[in-house]
Parts: sequence; C-alpha cells; structure tokens
Amino acid sequence: MRLPRGSFPWIGPAWPSTVERPPDEPRTGTAFETDWARKYPTRLARALVLDTVGKGVVGMLASPKVRGDDRLADVKGPVIFAANHASHVDTPLLLTSIPDRFRHHTVVAAGADYFFDKRWKGYLWAFAINAIPIERTRVSPKSLRLASQMLDDGWSVLIFPEGGRSPHGWSQPHRAGAAFLAARAGVPVVPVHLEGTRRILRKGTGRLTPSTTTVTFGSPLLAAGGEDPRQFAQRVERAVDVLADEQATDWWSARRRAASGQTPSLAGPEGSEWRRFWSLGEGRRRGRPQLPRWP
Amino acid sequence: MKALLFERKVARYAAATVAGRLKPGSGAKVGPLRLAHDIDEPELPGPDWVRVRPRLAGICGSDLATIDGKSSRYFEPIVSFPFVPGHEVVGDLDDGTRVVVQPTLTCAARSLDPTCDQCAAGRTNRCERIAFGHLAPGLQTGFCEHTGGGWGLSLVAHRSQLHTVPDALTDEAAVLVEPAACAVHAASSAGGTTIAVIGAGTLGLLTIAALRHGNVHGGNLIATAKYPEQKRLAKELGADVVVEPDALERAIRSDTRSLKFGDQLTGGASCVIDCVGSAASLQQALQVVEPGGTILMVGMPGVTTVDLTGLWHREVDLRGCYAYTADDFATAFDLAADAKLERLLSATYPLDRYRDAIEHAAQAGPRGAVKVAFDLRNERNR
Amino acid sequence: MPRPGFILDVDRSTPPTLFWHGEGYRLEKLPAGSRVIYPPEPLAALKDPDGAVRHALLNPIGDSKPLPELLFAGMKLTICFDDISLPLPPMRRPDIRQRVIEAVLDLAAEAGVDDVVLVAALALHRRMTDDELRHALGNRVFDAFNPHGRLTQHDAEDPDGLLHIGLTDAGEDVEINKRAATSDLIVYVNINLVAMDGGWKSTATGLASYKSLRHHHNVKTMQHSKSFMDQHRSELHSSNWRMGKVLRDSGIKIFQIETTLNSDTFPSQFGFLQKREWEWTARDRAGFLASSKALDRTPDRMKRSIFHSIQAPHQMTSVQAGEVEAVHALTTEHVYRQQLVEVQGQTDILTMGLPYISPYNVNSIMNPILVACLGLGYFFNLYKGKPLVREGGVVIMSHPTPWAFNPVHHPSYIDFFEQVLAETTDPIEIESKYEERFATDPWFIHLYRTSYSYHGVHPFYMWYWCAHARQHLGGVIVVGGDPRSVRRLGFKPASTLRDALEMASDVVGRDPSITHLHNPPLLMADVR
Repeated sequence: MRLPRGSFPWIGPAWPSTVERPPDEPRTGTAFETDWARKYPTRLARALVLDTVGKGVVGMLASPKVRGDDRLADVKGPVIFAANHASHVDTPLLLTSIPDRFRHHTVVAAGADYFFDKRWKGYLWAFAINAIPIERTRVSPKSLRLASQMLDDGWSVLIFPEGGRSPHGWSQPHRAGAAFLAARAGVPVVPVHLEGTRRILRKGTGRLTPSTTTVTFGSPLLAAGGEDPRQFAQRVERAVDVLADEQATDWWSARRRAASGQTPSLAGPEGSEWRRFWSLGEGRRRGRPQLPRWP
Repeated sequence: MKALLFERKVARYAAATVAGRLKPGSGAKVGPLRLAHDIDEPELPGPDWVRVRPRLAGICGSDLATIDGKSSRYFEPIVSFPFVPGHEVVGDLDDGTRVVVQPTLTCAARSLDPTCDQCAAGRTNRCERIAFGHLAPGLQTGFCEHTGGGWGLSLVAHRSQLHTVPDALTDEAAVLVEPAACAVHAASSAGGTTIAVIGAGTLGLLTIAALRHGNVHGGNLIATAKYPEQKRLAKELGADVVVEPDALERAIRSDTRSLKFGDQLTGGASCVIDCVGSAASLQQALQVVEPGGTILMVGMPGVTTVDLTGLWHREVDLRGCYAYTADDFATAFDLAADAKLERLLSATYPLDRYRDAIEHAAQAGPRGAVKVAFDLRNERNR
Repeated sequence: MPRPGFILDVDRSTPPTLFWHGEGYRLEKLPAGSRVIYPPEPLAALKDPDGAVRHALLNPIGDSKPLPELLFAGMKLTICFDDISLPLPPMRRPDIRQRVIEAVLDLAAEAGVDDVVLVAALALHRRMTDDELRHALGNRVFDAFNPHGRLTQHDAEDPDGLLHIGLTDAGEDVEINKRAATSDLIVYVNINLVAMDGGWKSTATGLASYKSLRHHHNVKTMQHSKSFMDQHRSELHSSNWRMGKVLRDSGIKIFQIETTLNSDTFPSQFGFLQKREWEWTARDRAGFLASSKALDRTPDRMKRSIFHSIQAPHQMTSVQAGEVEAVHALTTEHVYRQQLVEVQGQTDILTMGLPYISPYNVNSIMNPILVACLGLGYFFNLYKGKPLVREGGVVIMSHPTPWAFNPVHHPSYIDFFEQVLAETTDPIEIESKYEERFATDPWFIHLYRTSYSYHGVHPFYMWYWCAHARQHLGGVIVVGGDPRSVRRLGFKPASTLRDALEMASDVVGRDPSITHLHNPPLLMADVR
C-alpha cells in the first residue's frame, strides 16, 4: 500500500474515538524530572558556568564577603544550608559562596509552583542552579522523599526555610520543612545569613543596583534526639538571627547577646505594619551629607 | 738617569681615564706615564739643596689617581709637567746618610722670605706659596718638574725637607714614615669617645696605629675593612672592633646605643675619619657621626656628590686633613718603630716592572697587600 | 592503624635517604651499617575536635572546677595563647587556638563575662602581624576583639604592663604580664608541638619579662638541661616550675588548656617528605624529582615564599584542661605517644637534615644563628635519657646556611653575628661580656615594642640553646653550607656528606657508627 505523504506515520496517529483517553500525566511542578541535571555532562557544564559567569556576575553585582566558612571545616557529609531569603540574588550568591567542597554538590530546593510551572523554566533552573521542585505551601511527602533522596545520595540541599522572599525586608517565620528533613536524614543544618541582597534586587522590582553583601555561615546544628522539628526550626531561626547580629556587630557581642537572650530578631519588631516598615529605615532620606573635613 | 716620567699628553691622559675606570691601575699601560732611561738628573736649584738617591719609594693613592686619570682639575695649577712621581721616599744623601723626605714644597724650599703666615706659624702643610717662588709649581716633591721624584734614581731636596733615619729603622719601615706622618696629623685632630675609621688601606691602617700610638685616644675605635688581611692588620694595630664596610652603621649604633631614623643614626661616633674619600664613604660618615661631631677627610675626595642635609641639620664639622708638619714627622718615626710598620710593606718592584707594581698597588686590597713600593737599591747606575 | 617509629639498618640495597636542606631536600647515600630513625606515623585525629574541646572544658583534670563554674558576671578574664612559633609549619585553618578560644568565649558569654582581654604570650618573640593573628584566632575572634584593643600582645618591656609577683626559693624574680596577673582567671591556650612546650613554662615564660626570663634562659641552666625536651631532667623546667609555685601561691588562678597535634606535617603534594623512601610511589618519586629540579632553578626569595606558604594538615590528637601540672602530665604522654621512638645505644656520628623553618623564622629567613639553634638546640635535644650522639661525637647537619637575615624580624641577630660571633663562640664568654649590652639596647627595645622584631637578647638565647650540645660534642660539620657563615658559627663546612663523614673520622676514629635523624615530621628519641 502506498502511504500518502502528510498522513500517519509521517504525522502522529489520531486517537481512536472508541478508546478512552487516560488523564494527562502532569509534567510540570513537583512532577518535573531533574535527574538529568545531576548527571555528568550537565554537572560539568553547570560547574563551568557557575565558576566563570556566575562568579563574575555575582562578584560585580554583590561583591560578596564570606565569613564563617571555617565553621564547616569539620563537616564531612551532606548538609542542609538554611538561609534567610530577601531576593532572587540570594541563590546565585550562596551557590558561588559556599565552600568548594559543597559548591558543586548542592541542590536548591525551589518552589515547584514558581520555578517549575513551565517546562522550559524547569529545564532552565534545573540546569542553572541545580534546582529541585519542592512543594512550599505544605510539607508534602513527595517533596520530602525527593529531598531526603538527595541527601542520601550525598547532595547538600539549600533551603530557604521562610518559604519565599521577604515582602517587606523583615524575615518571615521559618517553616519546619528543613528541620524536619534534617531530623529525618540525620544531617546537620548550616544556618546562613545573607546581608545586603535586598539592596540589590528586592521583591517586586526589576531594577538591579550593585551593592555589597555579606554571607555568614554558622556552625552546623544537629537535631537533638527526639527534638520537635518545629523547635529545631526555631533553633535554626535563632541561629540565623545570631549570625545577623554577628554580621552587624561582632562575634563576641553577638555571643553575649545570644547568651542573655537579647539577640535582635530578623523578623523585626512587633507592632503594626507601618511601624515595622518604618524601623527598617529604608528609603528614608539621610540628613545632609557630611562633607569631609579638612584635610 | 732612569726614571718614571709623567708627561702632559692629553690624549693619553684621556685613555688612562677610560682604562682606569675599567680596571684600576691599567692607566699605567695607556696613560702618559713612561719609563725614561736617559733623562737628565734634576739640577740643584740652590745652595741649601742636596741630592737624594732614593732607596725605596712608595706608591701612594694619589699617585694611582693621577695615573688612572682620576685626579681633580684642582691640581692642575699646582703641579708642573713633566714630573717624576714618588713622594714617599727613603733615600741616601751623597754622604751616605739615610733620610726620609718630607715632600711638601713650602716657603722654605722655595726660598721665600718672608714666609707666608701659615709657614710662619709652623703649619707648613697649609703653605700658601706652593705655586710660587723660584721652583716650578708643585705641592710636593713628586709633582714638581724641578725636583724629580722618588720613582727615579735621583731627586733634589731642600735641607728643610730632610729627616735623618735612625740606624735602627729599616728602609722598609722608613718608607712608611711619610704616610704615617699624614696619619699622625689626622689623629692629632681626632677625639671623642667613639672614633670610626672608614677604610683600611695604608692610610686607614696607619691612622688606626696613630690613634693608638702612645694611647693618645682611649675612646672606642671602630674600623671598617673589606679584606681579611686588612681586618687582621686593623685588629693588630689596635682597632677595638673591625667590621665589613656595610656593617659600620650597625657596629656604631650598637657601640653608642643610638637609635635610628631611616638610615641615619640619632647619635653616633664623635669623630669619623674617612680614609677613602669617595662619595659613598662620605655619605656613610654623615650617617654615623653624632650631632656636632667631626668628620675628618683624610682620603682625597675629588669631585663628589653627597647629600649634606644631615651635615646641616646635625651641625656636623667636615674637615679636611692634608699632610703633616715637621713635628708630625718626628712622631711618625716613633710610630714606625713602635708599631713595626714594615709589616705594612707588602711588595717591592724594580722600576722596570712599574706596570706590575702599579697594578698590584691599585688592587692591593683584594690581593692581600697594603703598601707597594719601588725598590731602587739594586738599580744599575744608581 | 598508624605505625610506630622505625629504625632502619642501612645496607647496600637501601635506597638513598632524604635529607632536608633548608628550602629543599637531597637524597644522600648513607654508608652500610648506618641507622636511620623514622618518626611514628601520624596518629588518628580526634573525630569531633570542637566537641572534644568543650568536653575538656567541662571535665577538667586535677584540682580544678569546670570552666563554667570559674566564670561569673563582672569578672576579669584574660585568655593567653601561644604565638607564631607554634605549631610548625603553621596549621591550616581553623587553627587550634581559634577552636579553643571560641569555645572558652562561648562559655564566657553564657556566664555574662564582659571584661575579657586576649594576650599573645610571646615573651621576647616578635609581635605577630594582623594577618598572623587572624590566622591563629580566626576572623570572628580577631574582628570582635582587635578593634576594641582587647586583643593584645604581651610586652616584656612595658614598665606599666608588668607585675613583680615575688621571688622563688632559688631567688629568681617572677614578673609577668600585669593584666594577666591581676585577672580573676587566666585561661592559657597551648599548642604542645614538642615535649618542651606547656606546663608552667606557658605562663612563667610566655608572659614573663626579661628580668624574670634571664633566670632560666642562660648558659648554666641550658647546660644542666639534659635535655630540655625531657622536663624531669631539665633545669629549664625546674626553674619554671619553681616560678609556677610562686604564681600559684600568690593567688593567681590559671585554667590551663593544652592540646597536642599529630605529626601530619606536610600537605599531600609533599607527601614524600613524611614517607619512608622505599615506600615512595611513582607519584611520590615524580613529586620529589619535579620539586627538587624546580627548586634548583628557583631564586632563594621565591623558594622561601613557596615553603613558608605551606600550611600543615596537622590535626588535634588530644585536648585537656584544668590544673596546670595535672594537665601537663597528660599532655606530655600524648606528645610522647606521637613522637617517641626507642633507640638502642648512642652513636658516634649523628646526621640531620635541617628544614627551612624553626620556631623563630615563621614567614622569615632562617639565618645562620637559627640554623645552629635548630640543629644543636632543638634537634640535638630531641632525646630522652641519653643524647643520641655519644659524648665527644660529631653532629653533621645539612643546610645551606646562607649569610642572610631578615632585618625587620632579626635586627639584633645581625649585630650578634657580625660583632659577637666574630670575637668568640663560647656561650659563657658571650653571656658575661655581651648579653647585657644587647638586652638593654634602647634601639632593640624600641623595635621589639613597636615593630616586628625579636628582643635584643633573643639571639643570645639561641646561642645558649646550643650550649649543652656544644659542651657534649666533639665537632659540628655543616654539609652544603656557606663556608663563611658556617665558620663564623664555629662549625666546619663540608661540600658533601662523604667529605663530612671523612672529616668526622678525624674526631671519632675510623669506622664510626652513624645515625640519621629522619626529622621532621618530629620525632623524639628514647635512647636506652
């Protein structure tokens, strides 16, 4: 039989109307398959991009100062990096700042609803930052499985426990996911504080303003036996607060305030929304600029 | 008469300047110095003059500078060409008396009466008349056309220039009396608690010996010496501390417990005797002399570029130190005997080997020598 | 399981032996019948060093309460730490001092202690630069304390910064850092690289003034310390212990923290430096060949900076805290566990290769005086019982011994070398004739206090350190050294090991016994 051009099998077959069509498998969101992004050719390509372009751009934009990385000297296996989150700059900044041993062996827990809602976005983020899709609205067994699988395979996981970028500059309460994951996999959580990224790119704007940033790594924290994940999450949150204090003042002052329970919270003061915003001091005009005195 | 003759030959002089820069002492090969076999003996210029037949005649630093074309144009009007060099002379008179010549050609030798004020006061080394009178210009025997010099078989000297050599003193020690007199003269101007001597050539070593002679100066004596032989001699002649030239500043700092700013000691030596006379040595002297201290320039400096800010700021005395008086000569004879100065005479050459002799003298330090002299005692037709 | 030290009997089949040679190394063929002493392999490191530190602070040894009970709000706390001379080479970050001091400060913060000062216990050593302090203490401690003037360095010449505590039974002055002496508690953080370090020597030497130090840093003491690495036979230590008693009786409270390191001294690319030659792999051989060929063509300055940039992968093998003497007894055991090698009998000739570094030239030049001190002071004294080499025997050291000094770090060394050693090499004469002049020289004091220079008297101490060896030995030969500086030191230069052995036979006779100290990594010989 001579098959006419422009029909099957040159084109796809038509679905016989007598056969029931099964429902579509979702291929975006948490269902996005990212295994390929952790296989060799991709890893190598990403490492190259990250170490050249990534570092270059981050260096120009954020001039990061990295502190406390020596606290990771004794850590052997995978860890969970838990950082505060104020800007899209956070992820590339962190990925280029974490110590070499972890840098090319870290996946980023990214909101499935934001980063993986389109397949092209999924491919992009899985390649560029080694993102894995995580349900951020609730603790989902599937996300948890995926993340612990990563840890079991020796990959560190970068999580922003606030569940998203801060809308107003103050941090949001930590969700228990990271803590839960750490307790379950038995790996330490490394609290990380990122300072200054909001000045570069804040939520809701598209304008990049180069500025200086500081990345402060804290000592790894392990969940105590039988510790409630929510309590552990609070412990991590406080550790990030102390790092913020350490960054703003110095380590010794921060330790003393931490010991006496006076560490200022990154979540900002209590009170109404405007007072919280007001105490950030953002956008406020400074007084007359001081002219340098002679000489 | 056989003699080494230094003539006014501009092209040769220029060649010597170049050669001398390349290799010290090589001015003798290309320069205006030549061995003449048949020049006339100098005539006696007057009744008080006698003929001296040199036995030994030393090669001095100033001779080397002349041969290598390095001497200052300052000397031009106070020398007269052609001349026979050599002013460190021990020789015989016709009656067999051994004498050392005090070579300065002062008012007395020039038959000037009245003498200049300096000569009248006994400071004959400062004589104002060295280019005048019936003699050709010449600051010393060995730079004057009329007198001849030690590097020839015969010279003439005024009776006032003669010092009889004691029988006990060998020719070898006596030939060092003239430079020793320079050193005695320098030592008589030095003083203070710490004295530094820069340079351990003949003059440096003799200055050390003169400073220690008769314990005139009880102060600490720090000397620099580049070469092992110089170090040994400096130590033997009485230096308390002998260091390499670049260690002088540290040695003086340590000795005087001084502080420093930059390379300048805040304190330093009371008196620094520069027996080298280069820009570097003068600069170093300024570095290590105490405020209000004295630098004596014993080595002949020539045209020099030096930063004198320290001199101004620290009110340092910079003094020249030239030659000797008759008294210095008398002391120098004692010194030559007491300090056994013959040990400083390292080598002697006949006139025929003058090129070797001059090369040896120009490289005395590295070759482990101090003073090199011509030995004329065995010359034929003497 | 790390292997203990090993003594190799050299025969014809033995591969050549590695000799350190300053900023480089050589392979030398030792005559058959020689012995080579190899150090024990690095001990296993503590699994959780930070946890171990915290455990030590909470569970002190001897008559001492746990650290948290000694800390209270409103107290005056001084934390002293060992200076740049330890460990060698400098260790990779984080340095032990950082770990321990952070742990101590954590407890102090919990107790609400406000008045804390850190003191680098450098005695008469040079001041540390900011970078060096940062390396030792970590950025956090440095940034927290340095800007407020709370990170200080002991100044043994500060008339207002010293306190005379009293006299020992033997009439020795005890004068230490005033801030430390007037504190409610001194926490002293040690790194015990060799058996000499630590104990009362930490406080009584590290924080002392010249007036106090001269009682034990002198020729007589050193000649009676056999060896100063063995504290029970060391007059140096007896004196320090006497001073410790005075400190304790005066009511000064000291919480001593001592740590030991394993001997993992060189990074993996230099792994062959701490392996036995016959176990060198192809990679080790390639590493040796490539590096020694390259070093031959490298100018001295660059060689120096290459070697001084080596950071050792040292790791902590123990940490103990509490009362000084109890802590030190345990520490010494740990040091011995890592370093001790049992050796049967003395030798006629002891050969040693001297490396590029000694305690006093970190980031600096190993000048000839330090060469002498490293060989005759440190390596010779790395024995317990009897010296490795018999009385009247010969030491052959291999080092280029250049006539080179760091004018910033070692100004008094230059004068010592140029002025003192030119006159005499006899330690007793040097001590009586020159020590005071150098020790009280205002310029050296000025440089010690305001610049980065060792104290004026320090080169004398280096010379005294050699006194025991000089008294014991029949001769010292330096292989491959600059003859001028070797002679100035009073030693004999030789161009090859073969020549040196030939020269030594004039002293010890034909057919001598030869032992090579394969060091570093450090080892200490227990000579039976």
